[in-house]
Amino acid sequence: MAEAKYLHHDKLSAWLEEVAGKMRVLAPVRQGDAVVFAPYASGVQVEMDKQATTPPKGVVFPASEELLRYDYQKNPEQPGQVDVELLPVIQPEPTLVFGCRSCDARGFVIFDRVYAGQTYKDPYYLARREATLFAVIACLRHDITCFCHSVGGGPGDAQGADLLLTPIEDGYVVEAVSERGAPLLDSPLLEPARDKVEQAQTLRDKAPRNMGNPTDFAPARDKLMAVFDDMDFWEDVSAKCISCGACTYLCPTCYCFNITDEGAGLSGRRVRSWDNCMSSQFTFEASGHNPRPTKAHRLKNRVGHKFSYYPALHDGLISCCGCGRCIKSCPVSVDIREIVVRAMGHALPAKDKD
Amino acid sequence: MNVLSQLKEQIAATLPNLDLVIGWERGFDPLHHTPLFMRRPEDVERLVIDALCVHNLAVYLPGLKNKKVGVAVKGCDSRAVNQLAREGLIKRENVVVFGFPCDGAADLTKVRRQLGDISGVQSAALEGDLLRVVVDGKERETPLKDVLADKCLRCRYPNALTHDHFAGEPREARVQTDDYKDVVDFEALPLEARFAHWQQEMQRCIRCYACRNACPMCVCRDHCVAQSRDPHWVTQEDETREKWMFQIIHAMHLAGRCVECGECQRACPVDIPILALKRKLNKEIRELFDFEAGVDPQAVPPLLSFQVEEKNINERGW
Amino acid sequence: MSGVNELRIVGFLCNWCSYGGADAAGVGRLAQPTDLRIIRMPCSGRINPLFVARTLLSGADGVLVSGCHPRDCHYAEGNFYARRRLEVFKRLLPTLGIDPGRFEYTWVSASEGQRWQTVVTTFTEQIHRLGPMPRFSPGEACVAVLAESGG
Repeated sequence: MAEAKYLHHDKLSAWLEEVAGKMRVLAPVRQGDAVVFAPYASGVQVEMDKQATTPPKGVVFPASEELLRYDYQKNPEQPGQVDVELLPVIQPEPTLVFGCRSCDARGFVIFDRVYAGQTYKDPYYLARREATLFAVIACLRHDITCFCHSVGGGPGDAQGADLLLTPIEDGYVVEAVSERGAPLLDSPLLEPARDKVEQAQTLRDKAPRNMGNPTDFAPARDKLMAVFDDMDFWEDVSAKCISCGACTYLCPTCYCFNITDEGAGLSGRRVRSWDNCMSSQFTFEASGHNPRPTKAHRLKNRVGHKFSYYPALHDGLISCCGCGRCIKSCPVSVDIREIVVRAMGHALPAKDKD
Repeated sequence: MNVLSQLKEQIAATLPNLDLVIGWERGFDPLHHTPLFMRRPEDVERLVIDALCVHNLAVYLPGLKNKKVGVAVKGCDSRAVNQLAREGLIKRENVVVFGFPCDGAADLTKVRRQLGDISGVQSAALEGDLLRVVVDGKERETPLKDVLADKCLRCRYPNALTHDHFAGEPREARVQTDDYKDVVDFEALPLEARFAHWQQEMQRCIRCYACRNACPMCVCRDHCVAQSRDPHWVTQEDETREKWMFQIIHAMHLAGRCVECGECQRACPVDIPILALKRKLNKEIRELFDFEAGVDPQAVPPLLSFQVEEKNINERGW
Repeated sequence: MSGVNELRIVGFLCNWCSYGGADAAGVGRLAQPTDLRIIRMPCSGRINPLFVARTLLSGADGVLVSGCHPRDCHYAEGNFYARRRLEVFKRLLPTLGIDPGRFEYTWVSASEGQRWQTVVTTFTEQIHRLGPMPRFSPGEACVAVLAESGG
């Protein structure tokens, strides 16, 4: 692995510009009162000090993505005969996501098991995944809503990262974590990090300790199954939920999608877009039946999927990266940690026990 | 007796006759309160009333239509109760409204603008006219008036307009009239700038529909045209135009109904200033029909009625 | 409008009056600009103002709504409701950054072929003065698809 480097604050924009000459660079920038990942251009102020409002999920798994174009062609000789031409579209652009957090990059580790696992490989996902690099900034301070250390990650964790930046003195120690990240360190703007590497390691080791004791969510896997049929419990914890999709769409690990055709006349596009299990349409069947008729059923699915069903399929891995955006940005402050903790400590009604 | 204890007493006394009462309690951090659903007497103890009670709890009422529900309301929230009842979307006799004098609610986006990133907030205290917070071990403060929601600075109805119980003494309104200066100022910009403004702002919309679901007057819930395939009002594509189309739909569906509680904008996770569209419509509705939603429980909604000769509509002579 | 490229104008016309009026203008061979595409509606009261919004956002440069004169509605009061809704929508346009002149609503009866000619000519001239509707920056998928399919 390449030698660790040091990047001084003053050289940050020059370095980003250098990288932007080779590939698209997305960085957290301010838009209105929000911070979102947008293409880096010179002169743009990069927001390094806080977690971005939206995660960089869309870079690899776009909010809506064209899968193919279709075009119906009528045969003028035989009007009854219509041919359809399909044109698959996969055009990922080589991209560096700069300045995301450990939790953001780790989200894709959870994606990988679904879209790039043993049984199925999604070509659209894979193409974008392989074209994208992540330069992660280690968090030396945390938000009230952060709980990455309780779900298998950590504030200085490098899972899913290609470069790891640790804020130190007047700049960053930049370490290559993957083979693909190493060439980015090859720049005259970076100087050898020398003894700063050890300091950075010390800072990263200290960071999780500031977050307080982690919660052990492992028992949730069985406990959530046990409370599955206790609808009183689910109605109680979901009472204040307003069934919007903020939690889902801001979640770095929510990977469900919908496929629709958007066309006009004889041609159009087949689009894959984010879906949202908080919406009643998510499970609405063609017959008119809906197996998840209320918000209690739907919130149960969201919590259950992350802390029980996914772990059961994937070696106990929790499909939550602990970024806390679903808590922070929820219009009514629903707290997923609280729901899981309550489920783990919930005494089942007597009739269910025997 | 202070307002909170009086309110708690009123709720505790009424709770046995109701299925539940909705109020506010402390949330995951000292700046975020969260809706509280009180079902048992001990739940009432958790109730809080202060400038952080930002949510309009009337949003839950249509979903609890067949239950006996109590709800705590600020002045602006009470307009939603009136309007919902007027439209037959709730049965007013099934709702027990608990009012109290509201001194204004904080806008956490403004708190961020004043005090910087507050995601590491450890404590918050409202002391007189000051909001004091400790973030990452550092104390910061701001005058409360600098972080009050815009709607509170132009509030004409600080006391619930409809209520069955009222805790404390009604307070005086901050202003007597709304001059809609924000709308006038925005329209003073060049046309291109206004168009570009929406293009820029709507770009970051994530289509979570929090604006819609937080709106007490958006009652279609699971049957919104935004997610319907037939009719196909908006596509599933991640395009500014489609997102903006939805905002126009939302605004038009609220024309003559919007009570300006501002929940759409407050709920937006990416802070898009969408209340402006509803403000504009309310300004026009007032000028055209001298109507304000949710103020007079008997008034006929203007778009559900007409005059043969419209006083304020100019028939354009072509 | 010779020498000027056509713009896209969509007209929503009530079946009972304005559609007949347009027909009368045609039968009377009254010269009209050809930018307008007409969609026949059962009543101006059926016209959701959002039809106008969607049409403008989907690529039209102007939208014209025309119904029966007030008091002449085939269904007695459809156009009274329409008048309120359409007026409110027209007044929203400045805040959207869309010139309010891109949308007009008016009344033309089935016998008013001449008047229809005036309305179409005036409105088309108005839209030509305003030029094409500003477009949205990236990814104009539907418009592109519409253009490809000759719509």
